[in-house]
Amino acid sequence: MIEFERVSRRFGDLDALRHLNLTIDQGEMAFITGHSGAGKSTLLRLLLLLDRPSSGEIRVKGELTSAIRSHRVPRYRRRFGVVFQDHRLLFDRSVHDNVALPLVIAGFSPRESARRVRAALDKVGLLAQESVNPATLSGGEQQRVGIARAVVARPEFLIADEPTGNLDPQLSSEIMALFEAFNQVGVTVLVATHDLSLISQLRHRIVTLSSGRLASAETP
Amino acid sequence: MNSPTGQPAERWTRSAVWRAQHRIAANDSWRKLLHRPVATGLVWLVVAISLALPSALLLTVANLRPIVPDLARSAQLSVMLDREADRASAEAVQDQIENWSQIDAVRLVSREQALSEFGEQTGLATLLASLDRNPLPHTLRVLPRLPAHDSALNHLIGELESLPNVTRVVADTRWMSRLEETLVAGERWVLALGGAMILGAILALANTLHLAIDARREEILVVRVIGGSPAFVRRPFLYTGLYFGVGGGVLAALMLWALSLWLTGPVNALFLLYDSPGQLQGPGLVYPLALILLGAIIGWLVSWAAAEHYFRQLETR
Repeated sequence: MIEFERVSRRFGDLDALRHLNLTIDQGEMAFITGHSGAGKSTLLRLLLLLDRPSSGEIRVKGELTSAIRSHRVPRYRRRFGVVFQDHRLLFDRSVHDNVALPLVIAGFSPRESARRVRAALDKVGLLAQESVNPATLSGGEQQRVGIARAVVARPEFLIADEPTGNLDPQLSSEIMALFEAFNQVGVTVLVATHDLSLISQLRHRIVTLSSGRLASAETP
Repeated sequence: MNSPTGQPAERWTRSAVWRAQHRIAANDSWRKLLHRPVATGLVWLVVAISLALPSALLLTVANLRPIVPDLARSAQLSVMLDREADRASAEAVQDQIENWSQIDAVRLVSREQALSEFGEQTGLATLLASLDRNPLPHTLRVLPRLPAHDSALNHLIGELESLPNVTRVVADTRWMSRLEETLVAGERWVLALGGAMILGAILALANTLHLAIDARREEILVVRVIGGSPAFVRRPFLYTGLYFGVGGGVLAALMLWALSLWLTGPVNALFLLYDSPGQLQGPGLVYPLALILLGAIIGWLVSWAAAEHYFRQLETR
């Protein structure tokens, strides 16, 4: 469970988030939407402790994130799988090594790591591309490698910031279907997107932000 | 399947993880260096020259050091006695000072001996023979036990001068003090030059490492978001710095060895010409080991500082 309690984030005179109250249940899948600058990315950055709120508290499974000491932050971040809009793969290594990165950080044995990487690549349908350089893949395939990297360490939470921003509708719905599949095995999924036409077809809660405030939180 | 919190049985112990991550970082950094052989070679050369030059100078000073006391020890004092003093009183002075602890040996040169030596040396023997009286006094040649630069020598001269029947003590120690001072100045010059060269190596390394870190900016940002600790992010760069430093140190040691091999022949011949039993003292094992260690320390520390600086810039962005 993720709870935002009256969370504000101010940048100078600008309120990126204002008194935001929001609860994401354990095992839920939710979309966060709104215009650019509405506070979607700020919300995700605060959750990952890449930034700290100006006021208010964020709790993850009851734990106050403000109480997490800086040397504990890396361990905290490992509970999240993160998918970026521009996938942010590393082109100096193979698809396999890209996906294995979280496992290297978490300290898995090479054998177990290889097994999990193949399982994750299989799930996103790219097992055959394991040893190629990700630069040779299409945009949709690169994003799927990014998703494999996000889920390979089996995180509690899957966070995605505009994961379909650069993809056509067909590929976008494939990506969303992948997120739903992970949600069905118990992962809490939080997706920031402005692709309303796509998410309105899916039966998940849509949280709309407007100028840093909660505009609506529709439950289907 | 494990619980989503993920504490799998296949996870290694902490120390095994630590070792494995070090091994991966070490191999990875090494491969990256070999991938750009020219750039890596140039960094090694810069570090090597910066380390080899001051250590070669230091070795030169170390070689000069043992020769100087030899020269200094040959510094004799000439104790001129009163012209009126006869041989018996000269012998009395000799007996008196012979067992002073600061004195190694005393030899009496009688005025007759001195005159004939002077005559032989100058070729003026016939002219001197025509003198109605010997203008030279009895002289004591004193070989002090002290090193020439020591202020104790001046003290000894003072003591000798205060003895009865002694008019003057002549000691040409000035050129020796000059040599000594030159050597001290030389050592400081070597230290200053060495410091400047090592600073140059540090700056060159810092710049190279900054570029190496900046080239992996994307990786650093991704690793930070997906939970890599600062130590994990820093590790490959520490190895890069270590390789630069150790490689430079090894190359510097080879340069120093080559230089001393090249110089051994002529320098030993020079020693022989000056009747010095000395031999060119090579770098031995101490210099190479010190160079490699120094390179390693510099490389590690500079990469640490460069990484910290870079990450701090990243955080405040």
